[in-house]
Amino acid sequence: MMTIPTTRKPSILGGVTLIALAAVILMPLLLPSVTLATEILIFALAALACNLLLGYTGLLSFGQGIFFGIGAYSSALVMIHWQFSLFGALTVAMTCGGAIAALVGALAIRRTGIYFVMLTLAFSQMVYFLAYTLSDWTGGDNGLLDVPRPPVSLGGMTLLDLTDSRAFYGFVAILFMLIFIGARRVIHSPFGTTLVAIRENENRASAVGYDTRHFKLLAFTLSGVVTGLAGALYAMMLNFAPLSNIELMMSENILIMTIIGGSGSLLGSLLGAGSIIMLGDLLSEIWPRWMLLLGVALIFVVLFMRGGLWGGIEALIERWKERKAHQQPSAAAAREEAGQ
Amino acid sequence: MNTITPISNSTTVQSGEAILSTQGLVLAYGAFRAVDGVDLQIRQGTVHTVIGPNGAGKTSLFHCLTGERRPSAGRILFGGHDVTRSSAHGRVGIGMARSFQITSLFQNLSVRENLRLASQGRDGHRALTFWRAEESKRCHLDQADEVLERLQLTARAGVPAGDLSHGQQRVLEVGMALCGRPKLLLLDEPTSGMGIDDIPIMTNLIAELGKELTVMLIEHNMGIVMSISDRITVMHQGRILVEGTPEQVRSDDRVRAAYLGECA
Amino acid sequence: MLDLYLFQILNGLGLGMIYFLIAVGLTIIFGLLNFVNFAHGAFYLLGSYLCYTVVALTGNFWLALLIAPIVVGLLAWVIEKTLIQRVYHLPHTFHILITLGMALIIQELTIMTWGPVGKSVATPELLQGVVIMGDFAYPKYRLFLILFSALIGFGLWLLLERTRFGALVRAGSEDTETVSLLGTDIYRLFSLTFALGVALAAIAGVLATPLRGANPFIGVEVLGLAFVVVVIGGMGSFSGALIASLLVGLVQSLMTTLWPQGASLMIYGAMATVILIRPYGLFGRA
Repeated sequence: MMTIPTTRKPSILGGVTLIALAAVILMPLLLPSVTLATEILIFALAALACNLLLGYTGLLSFGQGIFFGIGAYSSALVMIHWQFSLFGALTVAMTCGGAIAALVGALAIRRTGIYFVMLTLAFSQMVYFLAYTLSDWTGGDNGLLDVPRPPVSLGGMTLLDLTDSRAFYGFVAILFMLIFIGARRVIHSPFGTTLVAIRENENRASAVGYDTRHFKLLAFTLSGVVTGLAGALYAMMLNFAPLSNIELMMSENILIMTIIGGSGSLLGSLLGAGSIIMLGDLLSEIWPRWMLLLGVALIFVVLFMRGGLWGGIEALIERWKERKAHQQPSAAAAREEAGQ
Repeated sequence: MNTITPISNSTTVQSGEAILSTQGLVLAYGAFRAVDGVDLQIRQGTVHTVIGPNGAGKTSLFHCLTGERRPSAGRILFGGHDVTRSSAHGRVGIGMARSFQITSLFQNLSVRENLRLASQGRDGHRALTFWRAEESKRCHLDQADEVLERLQLTARAGVPAGDLSHGQQRVLEVGMALCGRPKLLLLDEPTSGMGIDDIPIMTNLIAELGKELTVMLIEHNMGIVMSISDRITVMHQGRILVEGTPEQVRSDDRVRAAYLGECA
Repeated sequence: MLDLYLFQILNGLGLGMIYFLIAVGLTIIFGLLNFVNFAHGAFYLLGSYLCYTVVALTGNFWLALLIAPIVVGLLAWVIEKTLIQRVYHLPHTFHILITLGMALIIQELTIMTWGPVGKSVATPELLQGVVIMGDFAYPKYRLFLILFSALIGFGLWLLLERTRFGALVRAGSEDTETVSLLGTDIYRLFSLTFALGVALAAIAGVLATPLRGANPFIGVEVLGLAFVVVVIGGMGSFSGALIASLLVGLVQSLMTTLWPQGASLMIYGAMATVILIRPYGLFGRA
């Protein structure tokens, strides 16, 4: 029996995770402000969650802003009105995000293709106008002000005060790495591989025994949990939960980060969030219309580089590897080529 | 919600008994009855082919059996279960697997991954485990390797399915169904589009499979039909016209009339 | 009291006709090209700002009504040939992404050219003032809006039903392959249709500007409403676009004094309901 070459099964703690860890450690040192780094990680989480739907399951959802905003509002409300602790508030945000995502998902996946996209768009708008109207809860146009940032505590004992932005970054960074590792596990699980199958050929996936609705629903729920968490962290970072969190524009921004960074790769989500937020920070003072570049980047990605920034980097690494492999035996051939 | 209601407690079918049967199956599109009262019996351990001129209702019948279409009337019984209203994915769990007439693979994934996913499909809901490593289910990788051997595609294991030749893709189609460890294979024109050199690979495969499990197929190529079938059902205008062994069908005048009646 | 309702209803009709001009272009583009154009609102935006510029330079609204759709149509033609033709074969997701990028670029360029603050345009002299019908007075311009849009709608209907071009568009919406096999240069048909659809949005932009002014962020809102109309009316359906846009316009207008957000909630809720219950909309084909 012929042995099949075993493909290298990456440990979820190695490879890409180490790169992410390196980025997480270096960012606060290299960037002008720690808050900027925190913002990057928060949106990287949102992009990661969006990626699970878009890159891996093939679902273009305009509803990520819903979960982001719900996460922000729910955590802010329980902290403001009922003095929830840090982990309590985050748990509420994740639960609400997941629950709403399950609801939205259950309805949206009844349709496929463009109708699915339209449904997520419609829900996004509905939730926005609802949030606007329920201003007693959400603060309406003004948003929720004075959102607290509770300390890390255990059984009433304060372990770490997060008021300092560096401490808060450390906290967010740990959460980010945990979720990043968790995401890698999800991708390389039976569930994750099935999502890819659904993306590639839903009909076929159904024919070999998968109830695709359940898989899509779970993907939605997981996405909602992580996006809700990101929203809550954002509210704590700003000490403010604006209406814009739940606007369609927020969904679009998250999508743009996911796509430009590279849909279908977790590192791409970090890259996308990082590059766009850094670019914005760099350019918004000198050129308020810098978002024009995002439009160009989107078009570029669709036409030439579907794998986004990370896809482009991977392609370059592949070509570099190929060139190295060719360099050794064919030094003569190289001279010939150079001579031409 | 789709339910598979067991008729009897026994799930083992004796050889020679019907593993799949339909009772008065009807599929109507408005006033047009594509399947018009079909009582089909597929016996355990046989290679059973359904043939018939265009529009006879073979494909519609196939769609009812695979769950792609819900019949308008009648019942489908499989190994003691009433599967008339079960979902397509649900049928895999109880031992029915199908291939597609128009090749439908995971084009960008490797051949091996295609088969592994097909094997994993048997788990159904149990595949929702997002916290476990994919390698934790070694059995699926092993199953994929086994089927690769059988299809003689081991050398192409790491190649994207879309890069295979058409003939190899058709064979992989059957392989995907095999990974579900089915009791009944439903093949939709498995040799469709295959070149004259590749067809023997498929026919040998089907003949082999017929010894271990039950195979039902739709086929147009009469040469293949006659050589590999244990039983043939001829359909015409939504009904069963004739059923029997290849010799019986070959010499039946009604069959000739049904086919030639189209050209006359 | 009745006068107030009549006023709101007429406003709703006017609003609906504007939505119709935007949506019908979108639905024709989807019907024939099977293309999802998320930049449609941006072209409306361009029409609106071109109206402002032409009026600012020449003082002539009618010139703007003529020039804007031609300029925007030409721009759309160029964009279709250079960018959009490349992505027809890709899934709808990519249509959405590339037109989203285009919309972003157009919006930012608009702000760069005309500034982030909205501009206003006066109603043309000929149409200032009100029309008096008994006790009831209604702005001349708004009445003109309804009638002129209806005229354009009628002209479009004639184009689709009574000309060879229209026949090709309708046939192509059913079966693109056959039409191209019959000898039509299908890509030229696509370009023309895309330009036409977009030009209609530009006309809507021009017509709406004396009422609402030119505002760079209106593109997104308009796009959303256009898709609501197209979905409810049925993707690819002319009559669906008409009926649905009038409905949406009326709902918005009637609820604007009571609860404007409620109007949006109802409208998007209706869109979601239609997709869930009857995805092909009121008049769409399967």
